[in-house]
Amino acid sequence: MLKAQFDPVQLAIPFFVLAIILEILLGRLGKAKANYETRDTAMSLSMGLGSTVAGLLFGGVIFATTVWVWNHRIFTIPMTAIWAWVVVFLLEDLTYYWFHRIAHERRFWWASHVNHHTSTHYNLSTALRQTWTGGLAGTWLLWLPLSFLGFPPAMVAIQKGISLVYQFWIHTEAIKRMPRWFEAVFNTPSHHRVHHARNARYLDANYAGILIIWDRMFGTFIPETDEEPCRYGTVKNLGNFNLLHNVFHEWIGIAKDVAGAKSPRDALGYIFGPPGWSPDGSRDTSHTLKAKWRARLDAEKASSAP
Amino acid sequence: MDKALLIQLGGSVVAVVLLVALAAWMGVARATPPLDAASARALLAQEFPDHRPDAVWIAADGAGIIARAGDLALVLWRRGDGYVARDLPWSAVAALKPTHGRLAVRVADARPVFAVNDDAWPPKEFV
Repeated sequence: MLKAQFDPVQLAIPFFVLAIILEILLGRLGKAKANYETRDTAMSLSMGLGSTVAGLLFGGVIFATTVWVWNHRIFTIPMTAIWAWVVVFLLEDLTYYWFHRIAHERRFWWASHVNHHTSTHYNLSTALRQTWTGGLAGTWLLWLPLSFLGFPPAMVAIQKGISLVYQFWIHTEAIKRMPRWFEAVFNTPSHHRVHHARNARYLDANYAGILIIWDRMFGTFIPETDEEPCRYGTVKNLGNFNLLHNVFHEWIGIAKDVAGAKSPRDALGYIFGPPGWSPDGSRDTSHTLKAKWRARLDAEKASSAP
Repeated sequence: MDKALLIQLGGSVVAVVLLVALAAWMGVARATPPLDAASARALLAQEFPDHRPDAVWIAADGAGIIARAGDLALVLWRRGDGYVARDLPWSAVAALKPTHGRLAVRVADARPVFAVNDDAWPPKEFV
């Protein structure tokens, strides 16, 4: 009930390795779209390895807090009931959606999540480019209500693992589209390519973990269009392949901005505002980038009209 | 740290090294041919859609671009099999001095180097 009997992510590691080898081979043989750049791949895989180690540092605190919350639960939900697994699947996925949305739309949490998005490639190794500072960012707190409701910590941990394993295979360009019914309900390579794209039209979209229905419900769904292929990475791509720079650059950016802030309000804006926020609006946020893109589109339409 | 965890970490390090080696050996990076006038313009339009460059200079090895748009220098250089874009004050870029055919530009997180013919900077495109 407390500690999971197995970790889906650990069990899936051999599959991750084999799938990456397969994707590289298919790319080499020209059978699928797959590009791997050596230093980019090294960075992605090193981030994955490092995140496991970083997870150990915070794991104890997270586990102890989760158990404490569960000890003060409202209901006692059995781990053996099928209905409980259905409900935890839906609630965990909804929690993931909001975690992921906050991780993109507020700079403090973006600082931890950004390094998953710094690859200019979109391949299976990108899926393993995981954060080292998630424990510090505290987004794990968002899952505590599930334990407070009464879902055993082991059940929540297993469901989180299942979600992570699911999200591995969608980090690929090798699969163009899944069947329509699947694209309508589930997160897919196509939907998640949009999420990793840096094109203005695709910014801040498709936060789903397993079910894309949350994006459709909360108005953040954007479909991939063939006329504008996704370009990957961040709005301002990193200038180097330094692993530590990738891990800490946004945290350092926040610290510098706060140190130079003229008022507490500005400091709070730098920490909790959207990424790119500045007191004078001189920097771009996703919102301003999209507005500029729409303005360019309108101008093009107006100039091409008879 | 227990033994099983150490074995797992050791195995993961070996797997990472082997996968990176495989990716390097297979050569599946994107093709990055030297930039020409058309590809340089397209890249600038993509990275700086709100700027209209007055003049564009392509590095001698085709691996970078510096363009001028008013008071700004639009700088693009190859990183891996892609490009990184930054804008800098034009005055700072114009004041740089190349040495031995290399023009080093300092940005916050990198120091890209551009190949320059005859150490002539700024080149004729900007004069």
